[in-house]
Amino acid sequence: MTTSQTMSLGEATTGFSARLRAALGRRTEWRAIILLVLVVVGALIFAPTVFTAYQVTLGFVALIGLIALGLTAVILMGELDLSVASTLAVSGVVMAMVPNIFLGVTLALLTGLVIGAVNAFFVVKVGINSFIATLGMLFALRGLAFVLSDAEPVPLTDIEAGISFGMPLIGPITPRIVLFVLVFIALHVFVTRVRAGREFYAVGGNRQAAYDAGIPVSRRLFTGFMISGFVAALAGVINTLELIAADPTAGSTALLASFAAAIIGGVALTGGRGSIVGTLLGALSLGILGVGLTLAGVQVDIQQIFIGSVLFIAVITDPASLRAAAGSVVTFLQSRKSQTAV
Amino acid sequence: MNRSTSEPAGPVVIEAESIVKRFGGAVAVNDVSISVRAGEIYGLVGENGAGKSTLMRILAGILRPDEGEVRVEGKALHGGAKAALEAGIALVHQELSLVPEMTGAENIMLGSFPTTAGFIRSADMKKIAADAIEEIGVQIDLDEPIVRLSVALRQFVEIARAVARKPKVLILDEPTATLTPAETDHLLAMLQRLAAKGLSIVYISHRIPEIFSICDRVAVLRDGNLIEMMDIGETTPDDLVDKMVGRDLKLDLQIHRESNPGDVVFSARGIHAPGVDGIDLDVRAGEIVGLGGLVGAGRTEFVRAALGVDPKTAGTVTVTTDGRSTKIATYRAAVRNGVAYIPEERRTDGLALNMSVADNIALPNRARLSTGSVLKPKMIAEFATNLADSVGLRPPDIRRDAGEYSGGNQQKVVIAKWLGREPRVIVLDEPTRGVDVGAKTEIHRLIRDLADRGAAVLVVSSDLPELLDLSDVVHVIRDGRIAGTLSGAEADEKSVMTLAAGGRLVEAS
Repeated sequence: MTTSQTMSLGEATTGFSARLRAALGRRTEWRAIILLVLVVVGALIFAPTVFTAYQVTLGFVALIGLIALGLTAVILMGELDLSVASTLAVSGVVMAMVPNIFLGVTLALLTGLVIGAVNAFFVVKVGINSFIATLGMLFALRGLAFVLSDAEPVPLTDIEAGISFGMPLIGPITPRIVLFVLVFIALHVFVTRVRAGREFYAVGGNRQAAYDAGIPVSRRLFTGFMISGFVAALAGVINTLELIAADPTAGSTALLASFAAAIIGGVALTGGRGSIVGTLLGALSLGILGVGLTLAGVQVDIQQIFIGSVLFIAVITDPASLRAAAGSVVTFLQSRKSQTAV
Repeated sequence: MNRSTSEPAGPVVIEAESIVKRFGGAVAVNDVSISVRAGEIYGLVGENGAGKSTLMRILAGILRPDEGEVRVEGKALHGGAKAALEAGIALVHQELSLVPEMTGAENIMLGSFPTTAGFIRSADMKKIAADAIEEIGVQIDLDEPIVRLSVALRQFVEIARAVARKPKVLILDEPTATLTPAETDHLLAMLQRLAAKGLSIVYISHRIPEIFSICDRVAVLRDGNLIEMMDIGETTPDDLVDKMVGRDLKLDLQIHRESNPGDVVFSARGIHAPGVDGIDLDVRAGEIVGLGGLVGAGRTEFVRAALGVDPKTAGTVTVTTDGRSTKIATYRAAVRNGVAYIPEERRTDGLALNMSVADNIALPNRARLSTGSVLKPKMIAEFATNLADSVGLRPPDIRRDAGEYSGGNQQKVVIAKWLGREPRVIVLDEPTRGVDVGAKTEIHRLIRDLADRGAAVLVVSSDLPELLDLSDVVHVIRDGRIAGTLSGAEADEKSVMTLAAGGRLVEAS
C-alpha cells in the first residue's frame, strides 16, 4: 500500500470565487439580510420618514436589539431566557431607588448579574428546563419590581443625569446607541474570537461532544445566563435614565420582540447556530418595520400581524425546514402517482 | 499484506487486567485482560453485543470497571475520560461526536483551543488542525462547518481530532461503517502508517477482511468473555468466525415450524434509500422471513424505506391481499392495506408511554372503536382487555400507563395494538431487544401464531439464535444489499455471520 498519499474526498475549494462562494454559503444571516433589504425598500416607498426620523428608529432598534443581543448568548447554547424583560424592570427600579446615580447604576447591573446566576443555578445545578426556570423568574421578578416600587413609577433622584443622557453626543448618536454598539462589538468578538464564547456553539450544537472534549459546560452556561441578565439590566438602566423614572411595567413588550429579532437573524432555538451579527440585522429589520408601519399610519394591532408574518416567513425559509417541506411534497406526489397507477 | 508476526515486539503501552463490568444483572465484560504494544495494531472482534464497545469505553475512561484496572505504561488509570485523554488514550467514537455548526479546525481542536488571554489564536489553531489532517492524509477545507461535509469526511475529522491530541493509544470503534471501499482502503493505509511511527492502535471491526489486512494480533470476544487472543498468522477468516460464533452450531436444537407458505403478500423491488442499495424481497402468507446482518448494514433503513416511514429514492412495494395488488408509497397507505410495523425504538416510536395500555391499543384501531369521531370507552376497554389477554400482558391492567411496564410487556402492548387490526403483513425490528428471557419466549410464540394464521412476517434481528429460530428464510444484508439468502435448514450462525462480515460462504451450497 502506498504511503503518504493524500486523498481528496471532497470538492477542492481552490480559486478565489469558489472560496468566496463557500464562505458566503456558510453564513446564517441571509434571511435577515434579505428581510432588511425588503423592509428598507418598503419603507423608502411607503414611509420615507423612517429615515428622517432616524433618531426614533435607532432608539427603538437599540431597545429591543440590546436585549436580543444578550439573549442570543443563551439561545446559542440551546437554552432560553424568558426573564429578560422582567430583569429590565427590576434593575431599573433598583437603580431609581438609590439616590446616588453611580451607586444606582452599579447596583442595577449587579442585580442583572445575580438574576443571571440564579437562572443558571436553576438550569445547571437543579436541572430545571430553562423555559420553565426562566418563566418562573419572569413572574417572580415582575412581582418584585411592583413590590419594590409600590406599583408606581419611581422618579430618578438625579434628574440632571437623565436629561444629559438623553442628549445626542454627535449628530443623532445618543449614549443609548453608543452603548448598544459597544455591547454588539463586545459580544460579537466574544462569540467569534474568545475561547469561552466560541465554545457556546459547542455547548448548543452537541452538548455531549462538548463534555467529552473537556469543555466546562456548566461554567459556560453560567456565563451565558449572566451575560443575558447583565445586558437586560443595562437596558433597564438606559430606559430609566431616558425616562427619568423607573416604571415597574417597563419592557413588557420587549421580551417577544427580542426573541423575534434573534430568530429572524438566523439564530436557531435548538442552539449551536446563529450569530450576533444576525441578531443585529434581525433587530434592525424589526425596528424599521415597526417604526415604518407606525409612521405609515398602520394601527398597532395590524403591526403585530405584520411582525407575526415576518416571523413565520423567517422560520419557514430556514434551509432545514425548506428541505423538510420539499421532502414531504415529493412523498405526496409519489403517493398521488402510485394511486393513479393502480 | 499481512504484517509479519516476527516483528520485534515493542513495550506494552496499555494493558487491561481482569476487567469486569456489569449493567444491572447482566455481565457485559467478564474478566477480560488484554495488552497492546507500541506500534501494534490490535484487532478486536465479536458479534453484536459481545462487549467490545463496553471494553473500549472502559479503556478510554468513559466507563469505570467494576473489577480490574487499566494501566498505561505501567501506571494505573484513575479519574475518568479526562485522565485517560491526558494519559494519551484517544477514542474515535462509533457515533459521530462533532459539533455540526463549527468548522473542521474548531472541531479538531475542540476543548483545547490555543489562546492568549482568552482570545483564540486562530492561525495556530488552523495550523495544528492542518497538521493533523495532513498526518492522516486527507484533504478537507478546515474552514467549512461540519454540516457541509460528507459523512466520510466527518469520520476523518473525528480521527484527525484524536490524532491531534498526539495520543499513545488510538482506539477506533467500527470506523469504516460509513465509508466506501476506497475510503476504507485509505483509512487502513493511514492506520498502518501511524502504527509504523510507534502508535498503538486498537481496532474494532465486524469486517473480517479488514482485520486480516492490518492487524498484528486479534482478540475474540463472545458474550463478554475473551475467547482467544492470536497472532494474525495463526488464524484464518473461517477460524475467526467460528470463534466469534462459538456455540456448536447444529447442536442448538431448533424447532422449525411446519410452514406452508401461500402466495406472495409483500413484495419489495429495487428499494434504494440512504444506506439501502437495491433490495428485492418477497414474503409469502404464513411465512416468517428473517433479515440478518450487522448493525448498520441497512436492515432497518430498508424496512423503513420500504414501508414509507422514511423516504426512498427508488423502488416499489406491492401488497397483495385477497387477490388485489396495491402499490404502497406512503406509510399511511401501507397501514391501510394491512401492514403493521413494530419499530426498533419502541419507547420512542412505538408507544405513548404516558398513555394507558388501553389507549395505546386503541390508537391504530380508532375507526372501529368510535361512532363518527367520538370514541366509545366501554368498547375500548373490552377490546383492549381481550388483546392484552391474548398477548399475555402481566399484570393485565389496561388502565396503567404503558411506561409503568417492563420492556417485555411494553413490546407485548405494541404487538397487541397491531393484532387488533388483524394485519396481513407484520414487520418487526429487533422484537426482543432488552427483553427478559420469559417475555422473549412469549413474543416468539406470538410471532409464530401470527404466521400460522396466515400473516406474512418480516423480522429484523441481530440476535442470531432468535433469527435462526424464527425464520423460514434468512436474507443476510451487507452494505445495503442482500449478501446471501439461506433457507431455514441451511442457515446457521456461522453461515449468517460469514455473509454478514463479508467473507465467502465456504460450505453452504
